[in-house]
Amino acid sequence: MQNNRKEHLYKILVIGDLGVGKTSIIKRYVHQTYSTNYRATIGVDFALKVLNWDSETVRLQLWDIAGQERFGNMTRVYYREAMGAFIVFDVTRPTTFEAVSKWKEDLDSKLTLSNGQSIATVLLANKCDQKRDFLTNNSLKMDQYCKENGFVGWFETSARENININEAANFLVKHIIASENDILKSVVPDTISPQLNSDKEMTCSYWLSLD
Amino acid sequence: MMAQQENGRLFEDTLSVMTLGSQFDEESSFGSDSEINGFTSSRQTDKYGFIGGAQQYSSESAQEVPLEVLRHREAKWLDMLNHWDKWISKRFKKVRLRCQKGIPPSLRGRAWLYLSGGKVKREQNSRKFEELDSMDGDPKWVDVIERDLHRQFPFHEMFVSRGGHGQQDLFRVLKAYTLYRPDEGYCQAQAPIAAVLLMHMPAEDAFWGLVQICEKYLPGYYSAGLEAIQLDGEILNALLKRVCPPAYRHLEKHKIEPILYMTEWFMCAFSRTLPWSSVLRVWDMFLCDGVKIMFRVGLVLLKCMLGSREKLKACPGQYETMELLRALEPRYLQEGFLIHQVLELPISARDVEREHRMQLKRWRKTHGELSYKSPPRMHGTRAIMSAEPHTRQDLRQKPTIVVHYPVPSDTKSEFARVKKRSTIRKASNPTLDIPNPYALSWTLTSCLYVPDKRTDKQRKTPEESNSSAPKASKNLY
Repeated sequence: MQNNRKEHLYKILVIGDLGVGKTSIIKRYVHQTYSTNYRATIGVDFALKVLNWDSETVRLQLWDIAGQERFGNMTRVYYREAMGAFIVFDVTRPTTFEAVSKWKEDLDSKLTLSNGQSIATVLLANKCDQKRDFLTNNSLKMDQYCKENGFVGWFETSARENININEAANFLVKHIIASENDILKSVVPDTISPQLNSDKEMTCSYWLSLD
Repeated sequence: MMAQQENGRLFEDTLSVMTLGSQFDEESSFGSDSEINGFTSSRQTDKYGFIGGAQQYSSESAQEVPLEVLRHREAKWLDMLNHWDKWISKRFKKVRLRCQKGIPPSLRGRAWLYLSGGKVKREQNSRKFEELDSMDGDPKWVDVIERDLHRQFPFHEMFVSRGGHGQQDLFRVLKAYTLYRPDEGYCQAQAPIAAVLLMHMPAEDAFWGLVQICEKYLPGYYSAGLEAIQLDGEILNALLKRVCPPAYRHLEKHKIEPILYMTEWFMCAFSRTLPWSSVLRVWDMFLCDGVKIMFRVGLVLLKCMLGSREKLKACPGQYETMELLRALEPRYLQEGFLIHQVLELPISARDVEREHRMQLKRWRKTHGELSYKSPPRMHGTRAIMSAEPHTRQDLRQKPTIVVHYPVPSDTKSEFARVKKRSTIRKASNPTLDIPNPYALSWTLTSCLYVPDKRTDKQRKTPEESNSSAPKASKNLY
């Protein structure tokens, strides 16, 4: 029976400026832990998360990529064959939000799906448990920002308080599967594309419509 | 209540330090503002200062050196440090051999400073660090450095507390470097390098050690663009093809480019990869012989992890292979095993240089000219010494505290004695005729070394404070 289970393997990038909490988000998501003792990521780090997705198994390879600008020269190699991405910023530091579009451009310029589309990317406004004084309290504006910049959605997250991490990941996986189906459809036009299961609907209020 | 708890914990940990070993000076291990406040582990501090984490001391990973051997080695190292230029110019092989055997912990900091040429640099630029230290850093770098301070060896007692002495000194060293080389700025991978140095020496020395590593040993590694490390990745790959073809083919097949697994290894000089006893031994050799040691360690790890058909079968894909290279098997990292393998591997500085030229040619074809021209790499102590002229004065040891012990009448430099004998006896048993310099009852080997977390300003010289001399004498740096 186990053998009949369909398996998906997705490589997901976690990128964003230095110190925004990329490693913390991954550790929270994969190991359900939080610590203030994480080392700065040098180069790239990985973690694996296995999900039961309806009757299928989804394996997520999470790639934790160093945030300092000078590692940007290596990102082409790190990005290769990724299917989805989180771009993370720190709600307490506006400069990390300003860098989001730079990260998105870097990603889109170095990586596209076989149909020429850019990969599904979710914006994470991390450290939402802390005091913040800009923009993310205006969710309409954030929706607008996501639309303009090609994000499939955004979430306020906190790795420390475990807020919205699972939701964001499920949301991203859903989009990855959808875009995979799009690709399949375009390759084999007579295949019937499976509908997304409606009871998987996200609880999050931020997500944008799938077109 | 809170304070009481913290006091309780402090007391407990101090006790553990006291009972753990003579290497620690119970007086100075923790300042009055405890470095361990807020740390929740109840584990003991090991002899390197780790209170937890994967790199902590374990008897399985480390090699014990008998105390008598250690004392003989200390005597030899003291002698070498006293006649450094002669040893380097005339008997470098012996110096190398002693680095390979492991520098005694009590003298490691001093030896590293001499090996790297940091000592000469410091003497020739006296007051430079002071000057840089007093300047304001570029806010751009200060911001990034500050974000990294609590993320370096978070399980080391020196760096565990936010704003503690370790983190303060780390900031001073890294900020000073950005002022010293504003064209280079700060790279995140420099922080662990500086932190390792700070575990062994005061901030000024650590600064010059960092300068030497960044400019002589690993030039270009931390510069914008990070081309030098990528080029070294290609060199590593090419050497692997020669050393272990199956591993090379496997990595090629799965499109695992070197920068996917070697970036942290090389940029941090393995300081975050190996058990601590192995880190120290690797650094002893690295500072003596240069980057070829990095290549050798990398090759040994690849060879051990991917060297057989069974092993390759167990990691059929890219991700599995990368997981494997991240979860290195402890038995391969064990001090004795690893150092032996590294010494056995026939990769010379010349091999590295030859491969460097070939890969550079390829790089120019595919990527164009390097955007950052780094100065030529220097392969260790001897190359650095001959490139940077020094005076005898520069090499003179200037300990802040001088301990007088009775000098046996026949004590002469080993260098002088050996020269007279004119033949050099090999290393197996050369130590027995060396008088024990620690004749005083209170001077244990620990007297020479205490991982000192105090800032330079707090580190008093006897001239400044005679009254504190008896206590400070244990802190002979």
